[in-house]
Amino acid sequence: MGVLLLDIVTTAAILFAVASGLMIILGVMKLINFAHGAFLTIGGYAAYATTQLGWNPWLAIPFAALVGFVLGLIVERAIVRPLYARPLDAILATWGLGIIIGQVITIVFGRQVQFVQSPISGAIEFLGQSYSTYRLVLVALAAVLALALTALLYYTRFGLNARAVIMNEDLARGLGIDSTRVRLTTFGLGAALASMAGALITPLISVDPNLGLPWLVNSFMLVLVSGISIPGLMVASLILGGAQVVVSTYLSAILGGLTIVVLAAVILRIRPQGLFSG
Amino acid sequence: MAEHEQNHPAKRPATAARRRSDLGTVLKAGVAALVVLGVAPFFLDIYTVNVLIRALLLAALALTVDLLWGYTGILTFGQSAFFGIGAYACALVFTHWGFGAGWAILALGLGIVAAMAVAALAGWLAFYHGASPLYGSIVTLALPIVLTQVVFAGGRTTGSSSGLSGFPTYYWSIEIWFWIAGAFLVAVTALAWLFVRSDMGRVLVAIRENETRCAYLGIPVSRIKIMLLVAAGAIGAVAGFGYAAFTNVVAPELTGFLLGTELLIWVALGGRGTLIGPVIGAILIDVTSSYLSGSLPFYWKLLVGVLFVVVIVALPQGLMPEVTKLWRRMVPGARRTAKAPTIEPAPVREVAPRVEQPLAVRGVHRHFGSLQVLQGIDFVANEGELLSLVGPNGAGKTTLIRCLADGYERSGGDIKVFGRDLGRGPPDRCVALGIGRKFQTANVFATLTVAECLRVARYRLEPPSIWSSDNTLALPEAARRIVEETGLAESLDTEARHLAHGQKQALELAMVLALEPRIVLLDEPTAGLTRNERERIGAILTSLTERERLSILLVEHDLDFVREISSRVIVLHQGKIVLDGSVKEVVGSELVREIYAGTALDGGGGGP
Repeated sequence: MGVLLLDIVTTAAILFAVASGLMIILGVMKLINFAHGAFLTIGGYAAYATTQLGWNPWLAIPFAALVGFVLGLIVERAIVRPLYARPLDAILATWGLGIIIGQVITIVFGRQVQFVQSPISGAIEFLGQSYSTYRLVLVALAAVLALALTALLYYTRFGLNARAVIMNEDLARGLGIDSTRVRLTTFGLGAALASMAGALITPLISVDPNLGLPWLVNSFMLVLVSGISIPGLMVASLILGGAQVVVSTYLSAILGGLTIVVLAAVILRIRPQGLFSG
Repeated sequence: MAEHEQNHPAKRPATAARRRSDLGTVLKAGVAALVVLGVAPFFLDIYTVNVLIRALLLAALALTVDLLWGYTGILTFGQSAFFGIGAYACALVFTHWGFGAGWAILALGLGIVAAMAVAALAGWLAFYHGASPLYGSIVTLALPIVLTQVVFAGGRTTGSSSGLSGFPTYYWSIEIWFWIAGAFLVAVTALAWLFVRSDMGRVLVAIRENETRCAYLGIPVSRIKIMLLVAAGAIGAVAGFGYAAFTNVVAPELTGFLLGTELLIWVALGGRGTLIGPVIGAILIDVTSSYLSGSLPFYWKLLVGVLFVVVIVALPQGLMPEVTKLWRRMVPGARRTAKAPTIEPAPVREVAPRVEQPLAVRGVHRHFGSLQVLQGIDFVANEGELLSLVGPNGAGKTTLIRCLADGYERSGGDIKVFGRDLGRGPPDRCVALGIGRKFQTANVFATLTVAECLRVARYRLEPPSIWSSDNTLALPEAARRIVEETGLAESLDTEARHLAHGQKQALELAMVLALEPRIVLLDEPTAGLTRNERERIGAILTSLTERERLSILLVEHDLDFVREISSRVIVLHQGKIVLDGSVKEVVGSELVREIYAGTALDGGGGGP
């Protein structure tokens, strides 16, 4: 039972971290970034590069975020910007971008599976159970991430501008907010978050060019169910991630794999605006 | 839709002469394609023929994606699911039950039925009144993921992740398989071609362009989408069945989400909404992929990815329209313009004498959360009455119109239309009761011609054919008058997006009147019109009430216009009716003056 609870909490933390970048972009830009999985993969390979270069494994996290941010800025400028008025096309274009990133990674690093050194290994005693230390650390990191994102949105100039753009982009522009810049920064931030999440999860899973793909659809579903809010995403990750863990543990891992997708489709049918919006 | 088809001839005898279809052209092109496919195996090496068989079947699948996405605007990731269902039906029956002609027919039938059932379920889930287009995509995304997991869960029965292979099948020569696949693709393409060029095909485009307007024209949008998905599912299942029977191998990837996205890439590159583009795109890319998978797999996939992104960003309509443009430039006279239909009077329908009032509204209220937008609305509208709703901004005028045109809108209260309860139902139910609504901003179908827009508006009264288009367009007198008096008659084959603002407004009004409504809801029909246009519309509205005894509800800010044409005026203020009387009473009212001056009651919310 203790292990089950820990599994639920750590899975939720991982899902929250993985989905947050997608949510920031969807929230501010009303755009579904289907290259999200590819940015996770980029983060995974950034962590792999860190290992290869013999750097401290903790450096993988800021390094991945930096790589993601820079690539995100470039992508926004080149591909995303012309598609603001065509949201469904933006899904397709970013999907295509994901293919490009995947193929470039394959060409550079090869198809084979790689492994990344974990910053922390081993297990510790927690609530009377022996449990993976790194997974527990991830919970703390996800909590820090949630606080940092909240602070960014509510206590910074960028956050104020971003919230203004979310509520009423035309009005925000009329008030002199450079919404183009807000969008650019947001996409960079979303890509950085995705990439960072990719680096965070790689000690748990192996690295390969399709690393991000399985996470993409689940993140997408979680973000929509969350109703695009940080606490909403936390709760959605806990409920749907928890359901996934329970189904995987007691029924079958295969059914667990589709729990999030099916539950999300049903929830969104009943509450199209997501669980925690207005 | 079947029931409509049946009662159609009774209404208006359709003769061959008044219908135009591309049947001749399609037959010629189809025969030519069959001849090419017939001789192709003798000129190609075995490997290419092999690869082409697979590509031809996948092209048929891509075609269904084009019908759903390119024409109707449903971005689907899930067509691979139906392909997979057909393929697994074949593999499972041949592996576990038996092999032979009977078993093959059974397997094909099972595959089709299962695919149609899954499509109906997915469609029911995805398409309902008020669903966002994104939700439809979510369902189509979930579908292949769920099915792939089902295959994994099937263990020995489905072969789990390694799939099934080596089941008995017909070891016909490769040419025969090629001809079967080719004939199937040609048949599907030809039928799809006739379908999208028919009057029903225009309805699909109308749904893509403006689903809301469609719903308020009484078009059962959700049902059409579900039926289309079911048909697309059946076609996909047949293609999948053929694939499994030919290759003798099925794997979970056939049902997967990745194949679903690949289909989108082919359709986007070939040219969405062109049918031929996606077919060519699918064949070219799939065949090339097979050739390069050995030597340059990653670079080729990279190239396709780059091309895909470039096309989506810079050439959203894909490559086919560019090819067509080039062709028209090189071959003068290649441009064929379909002749606009001639307009004729619609048969006059007997209007049974009514005892009940057209509209009786009692105790209607509407709130958004704790915000009361309408409360205690009681009024009646009589036949032949032009009833104006006036009031300052935010008084609830448009909300009231919405409550009358969509049964789901109001929070409570009763609305009776000719004595029949409006109940809770989507806009098409309101249309069926005789209510027509014109929106505040001109709401037409941008890429349809004027004639096509009007034809779409006739959907409910004259169900469109799914194979041909009518050479005549029957319109009731009121709609005809608008079309003639506002110059639309001269631009019947102009696409609606090229019309001037005033003409767009007039077109939408004509579309609403083409519904032959008994109650017309007009939300600022004259906004942005010139004085001249406004007078003309005003004259038409007055004559509609006087001659045809329609009742018209008009939301209007222009009080001079209201004074000129209204027979009665209702003043709304802060969600309540504060005055209901003749023009004279309202104009002379101190209260109305105060409301508009912003001093009435508890302050009021801004002037007009």
